[in-house]
Amino acid sequence: MLSDALRLGVGWAVPWILGASLLTTSRDSAGSFHRTGEIAWVVGCGWFIGAFALTVWMRILSALNVQFSWASIAGPLVIAAASLAALTAHHGSRRERIEGARAAWNELRGAALSRWKLALWFATLAWLALRSLILLFDVVTLPLYPWDAWIQWATKARVWYELGHIVPFERSDPWFAAGGTAWFDAAPNYPSTVPLWQVWTNVTLGRWDDSLMNVPWWLLAVAFTFVIYAVLRRAGYEPLGALIGTWIVSSLPLANVHVALAGYADLPMAAYYALAAIAFWRWTEQRTIANAAVACVLAAACATVKTPGVVWALTLLPALVLIAFPRKGVALVAAALAIALTALLVLARIEATVLGYHLHLDFGPPWLGMFESMFLLGNWHLLWYAVLAIAILGWREIVSQPIAPLSATIAAGLLFLFIVFAFTNARAWVTDQTTVNRAILHLAPLLSIWALIVFHAWLQRLRGMAATSVASAA
Amino acid sequence: MESGAPSDSQSAPAVPAAISARRVAITFLSALAGCTLVYLVFAIEGKWFSAVPDRFFGANSLVMARGSAVREGDELVITHEGPGGETIVSVVTDLRSADYPVIGWVAIDVPESAQVTLLWHTDYEPAQIRKLPVRVVSGRLLPVAVVTDSHWVGRIGGLALAIHGGLTQPIRLRGVIAKPADAKETVVDRVREWIALEPWTGASINTVTGGADVQDLPLPLLLVAAVAAAAAALIWSFRGRLRVIAPSLAIVIGAMFVVAWFVLDARWTFNLVREARETALRYGGGKDWREKHLAAEDGPLFAFVEKARKVLPAAPTRIFVLADAHYYRGRAAFHLYPHNVWYDPYYNTVPPVDRLRTGDFIVVYQRKGVQYDPGGQRLRWDGGAVVPVELKFLDGGGALFVVR
Repeated sequence: MLSDALRLGVGWAVPWILGASLLTTSRDSAGSFHRTGEIAWVVGCGWFIGAFALTVWMRILSALNVQFSWASIAGPLVIAAASLAALTAHHGSRRERIEGARAAWNELRGAALSRWKLALWFATLAWLALRSLILLFDVVTLPLYPWDAWIQWATKARVWYELGHIVPFERSDPWFAAGGTAWFDAAPNYPSTVPLWQVWTNVTLGRWDDSLMNVPWWLLAVAFTFVIYAVLRRAGYEPLGALIGTWIVSSLPLANVHVALAGYADLPMAAYYALAAIAFWRWTEQRTIANAAVACVLAAACATVKTPGVVWALTLLPALVLIAFPRKGVALVAAALAIALTALLVLARIEATVLGYHLHLDFGPPWLGMFESMFLLGNWHLLWYAVLAIAILGWREIVSQPIAPLSATIAAGLLFLFIVFAFTNARAWVTDQTTVNRAILHLAPLLSIWALIVFHAWLQRLRGMAATSVASAA
Repeated sequence: MESGAPSDSQSAPAVPAAISARRVAITFLSALAGCTLVYLVFAIEGKWFSAVPDRFFGANSLVMARGSAVREGDELVITHEGPGGETIVSVVTDLRSADYPVIGWVAIDVPESAQVTLLWHTDYEPAQIRKLPVRVVSGRLLPVAVVTDSHWVGRIGGLALAIHGGLTQPIRLRGVIAKPADAKETVVDRVREWIALEPWTGASINTVTGGADVQDLPLPLLLVAAVAAAAAALIWSFRGRLRVIAPSLAIVIGAMFVVAWFVLDARWTFNLVREARETALRYGGGKDWREKHLAAEDGPLFAFVEKARKVLPAAPTRIFVLADAHYYRGRAAFHLYPHNVWYDPYYNTVPPVDRLRTGDFIVVYQRKGVQYDPGGQRLRWDGGAVVPVELKFLDGGGALFVVR
């Protein structure tokens, strides 16, 4: 058990450090580490960048007919990470890095907090740690359990791990025609990012183990908590508020289920989508090439995690337009929305099939099923109540800078979900509470973060108004 | 809460006044109690306070009037419907109708399409059989508020459950319970629903119910109603200086929301802990990967595949999987990888015979309609197709053949 833990730790430390090094090297200066939440961002986002880079490298290896092994996969990544770390050390200021690390450590131990806030700080950390440990226990103990995980995703992992390279999967007729050079499963067209995580984990273990190979899902959840904290701190939350917000976002029950019963691509989809949207949003504040590159890489990663990831990545476009055209952006997005609505009306007249979904604009939203899923069942705690309240109270903040680009992404994402369930045959899966919740999961973490950001901005406006009132009265 | 400097009584306050935590807590708890009270007003069918206990009639008391069943432990398992698709289960009772406004049948796997009816007779009208419909939700029978029926009077001499419709699977019946359904019991029932264990099932990856499958009052709804009521009360009490106190109010309402979120999260975490215990019991104890699969629900299939692997060549080879259940087809394929496995993920079909090659393997696992002729060394399956094979391995519900 201990040797497995060591192998897994080292195995996943490599891409994590690589990803963090890539982000660190792209900083404009070491002083950027003093920016609020920056170290947490590097730690959190670094995992996602590294995990994606790992799969890109594995795809390249397979294309070059190089067998998967510890040396072939990790070796070059270690060299790359070490080189990047050396580059950062050479260009940056050691003193500023130490100061940044010291500030992060002080924040972690709640140095600046009052007594009751310190108690709440550690209680929240303990609660987060408790959940994390329970989920880790489930991940390492349960054999691969949920349906799609063993019939659509890990099928590829098993074959690629045992063969040592990527082989194609085909549908039935092409499989027969391939004469043994292609493999078969229930979803041959599914992307390879998630199975390649499982392949790498098995390579680090040196054996097939369909429990331990799901550790990346737990690592993803841990890394994402750093991301949430970083974003909320950057949005202006004090450390305690950011930590409570982190707990709120990471406590979404269905997201927890997707860690415990690992093997689906929905949680990775949700995480990469949220990161891409946040990275674009960060780019609005700091228009650097590095920030743009990170945003584009994360958007590209979306498309490689799950088939609908292509559409999720496209929902980032309205935000991109607002960023690229600050003055005319709103008009452009409004025009695009009008075109989209017109297209919907046109689609009502025709029949088409896209990504396996039969598109016919027969408007029949399953209101009861959606209401049940969002407001009554245990999937999201009180998320949708919060979103409704925030949408009403914070509408000024929602459409104003700097939140508007993030709001545009949220709006596009909600529209995408609504179209899928109101206009396609996917509505049948709302009634029996299957696909609806997994599709909502893709948006839920980002939605939670957005709601918290809007709440904070709204609170700041109230404080400003209250101060003005007091000043006027005085 | 926001802290502020003391204000001068002669002029407007310099900074927003504090909202005490004690006041907020009392407001929130009062709102929660108020919302609970409102729910009880609508939910309680009989007396608010009752001294009589529940009366439970277990499987041993039940009699099959129509249809057939077997007793398994504390359950009556209804296996076949009676003539005309009617199933009737009855029990002799002696209940005072005024004491028991709610009757609940404890059953699972009831077909959603079935028409289910509660029947009873009383000493007031002994020759009359009265009835009320029973709703089926998620395979379970919802309790019936019999007190709403004017014929629920006197002493109830017998109860019965009538199920009209074909049985797609056996119905498991534990008994029938007569409930006083007073305020205390109603609250206890709701709490039991909220904290009922939600075990990992195939549906867990799609939906988290938040306790029992069927709940009369979802906890999120109650909590958010309480937060909204408390928020309204606080806004009303500070309505004279809203602009000044708004930031404090926003923080306070946010804090109440966070507390409500924590209550739900505590319930969820409690479920995770119990679920982890179940996982530990089944898969813990140092089991390795293979032992975990042997302990899983498809353990026998996994054991069969592990034995079949010893007969299969080391290099990946084409294998065709046949099984009636698509679960078994998919699981067999998963266990057989990295062999080059073909199966139909959605329908119970067989591969085209003309596409089979010498050296291909065929796994048949619990599949009707496939016959092996040992003398002729042939497999015969759907549509009369014949495949020349050699039997390589036979074990339990499965067999492995190689195409000659």
